[in-house]
Amino acid sequence: MNLTQERSTPAPTTPANLPPGTGTAAGTPRTTAARRAGALAPRLITPVALAAVLFVFGTMSPVFLTAGNLLGVLAQLSILGLVATGLTIAVRAGGIDLSIGVALDLSALAAAALIYDGYRAWVAIVAGLLFGLLVGAINAALIFLLRIPPFLATLSVWFIGTSVQQLLTGGGAPTYLSSRPVPEGFALLGHGWFLDTIDGTILILVLVALGTGLLLSATRWGRAVTMAGEQPTAAAIGGLRVRRLGASAYILCSLVAAFAGVVLASRTTSFVPGSGQSYLMDAIGAVFIGATLSKFGRATVPGTLVGVLLFALLSNGMNLIGLSFFWQGLGRGVVLLAILVLGVLLTRRAGSPSALNALFRRPPPRTQSPKTSQPVAPTTEGSR
Amino acid sequence: MSTTATPTAPVAVPRNATRKSVLAWAGYAAVVLVLGFFAVASPHFATPGNIGAVLTQATVFAVAGIGLSTVIATGGDDVLTGGIDLSVGAVCGLAGTIAAVATTAGLPAGTAILVSLAAAAAIGVTNGAAVVLGLRPLLATLATMGIATSLELVISGNIKTALDGELFRWLREGSIAGLPAAVLVLVAIGALAWWALGRTPFGINSYAVGNNATAAAVAGLNPNRYRFGSYVISSVLGGAAGILLASRLSAAVPGIGAQVLLDIILVAYMSAVFSRRLVVNVPGTVVAAVFVAGLSNGLTLLGVTSQWTGAAKGALILLVLAVVALRGRNAR
Repeated sequence: MNLTQERSTPAPTTPANLPPGTGTAAGTPRTTAARRAGALAPRLITPVALAAVLFVFGTMSPVFLTAGNLLGVLAQLSILGLVATGLTIAVRAGGIDLSIGVALDLSALAAAALIYDGYRAWVAIVAGLLFGLLVGAINAALIFLLRIPPFLATLSVWFIGTSVQQLLTGGGAPTYLSSRPVPEGFALLGHGWFLDTIDGTILILVLVALGTGLLLSATRWGRAVTMAGEQPTAAAIGGLRVRRLGASAYILCSLVAAFAGVVLASRTTSFVPGSGQSYLMDAIGAVFIGATLSKFGRATVPGTLVGVLLFALLSNGMNLIGLSFFWQGLGRGVVLLAILVLGVLLTRRAGSPSALNALFRRPPPRTQSPKTSQPVAPTTEGSR
Repeated sequence: MSTTATPTAPVAVPRNATRKSVLAWAGYAAVVLVLGFFAVASPHFATPGNIGAVLTQATVFAVAGIGLSTVIATGGDDVLTGGIDLSVGAVCGLAGTIAAVATTAGLPAGTAILVSLAAAAAIGVTNGAAVVLGLRPLLATLATMGIATSLELVISGNIKTALDGELFRWLREGSIAGLPAAVLVLVAIGALAWWALGRTPFGINSYAVGNNATAAAVAGLNPNRYRFGSYVISSVLGGAAGILLASRLSAAVPGIGAQVLLDIILVAYMSAVFSRRLVVNVPGTVVAAVFVAGLSNGLTLLGVTSQWTGAAKGALILLVLAVVALRGRNAR
């Protein structure tokens, strides 16, 4: 296999799909059309899954495909959509943010408490966003100053944030705003209607997602963050300030989550401690399902929204057909696992026709010259 | 390029060996210091009964933590792409629930334990297969975590199920020569895991795969086989911890999996502090589990509210990780 062929092969070794070290063995050269189809197949899984969900629940429940229900689904997904949009930024920067629920909760707490005390709407909103900024800044400092791995740093922020919430609310007492006059500007965030037909939160989600999506895909900053996330060493050699870019991504991620918290507080006219963390698992799932849509296995805002839509339709459909809440986690987990495994399988098809056989097969003896030996998967691990 | 070399242990020759070993002892010193402080500050902390309770508590975290340590050692400690098993907490809860429901349904204790361990192993096989297929461990185990949590709800009906039986009662209250039964289990599992991971070709190869999978493959190992094995081990040990937890509480409590997950992760990563080479290891996991259990216990005895315990644990994990990160930077 010569170099040009290898270079023209659509790189299947995106960081999202392959763990380090599982370099694909040199596959047989295929025709361009077949290669294109092979590259397209993994990206079709999520649309197919979406269509399958629509079809299955559409046939099982007569209400599922009505406009009213679908609009209701959209209105329900807005908070998760905002959280997942924020998480997309952190994932794009090559990290992960498990403390996203803390940013959401603390900002909802601040906003609800200030409204409860009779402050103006903008004060509450700004205070909520400031809490998000604080969480993001702590994350960024831990990850980029102390060099703690993102997963563990944000995990500990999750620990501490949960404690802080309990301390601030006297052991976890919820704040209800229903007895108070809520300023109109604040109520509008979660209860507004656009043209009397579309829930205001959908509009908010669309605006935030559009802004974030453009920021990531069409600006210099977005390109730099993507580079810094995918190839930190190369980006650093290329003159980018990798740590500063990463820090800005984490802060922005927490800010978007904090905004979601403000919207949540307005929508539910209350603050219930610990409500943010329940979005975390679905948000992570949505972001990585969305990454299967991208040619490079990259987390993108549109992809994330498709993932969120898939989860929301799944939940709604399972509710409509009367599936017990107990089973719903199983349904979601199986769909998530199936989509991700299929994505990986279809991406790797070229290299290893029988992936499970890899378990029982010894690696082939390497007696060839080093040039034809197994290509090492390009990872960022070695540079750390 | 020699390809005939047998896989050797990833022996990193420390450049500043004396300094590193001093720092490793600092980890143990911190543990002794904190536990010693509790012993002085509270008259009830160092009583035999309380020490037994702390050790019994530590057993759950230690057994599950040993499983997670195996995964981290075999997968590499980069959490985003390396080894992590998020489902271990949920498996813990699921195994306890299955054991309780099976015993309530009239199965003998031995059979109930076997059934629940088999269910745990099934989750582990799913994890292992997904990871071997090329899925990120973080995502694969996130999905199985949801599945295991849901199964636990389905089986228990979200109701606390009592776990009773001679064997479970012995695990809770029994003792041999003054040592609580749970501690004996911990010693047995800990010694076995220490031997398997530290002294056998299997363990050394696992560390080799975790350090550099490509190099291990070139040396003739099959990294996937070790990865697969580590996830099964993790889930089975998670299941064993779940049975121990349920017998300690004398009931399977739904939703307990999410609570223990964070402690298990804390314990497994903290073990690196007790190692000269900063790697996750079995004895360190046991020490870390005793430390975390002692910390919770001591804070409670001193009258600190439970809300602060979470913050203390979070600050602790950060401290530990900062020490590891700084030491890693110095070594370079």
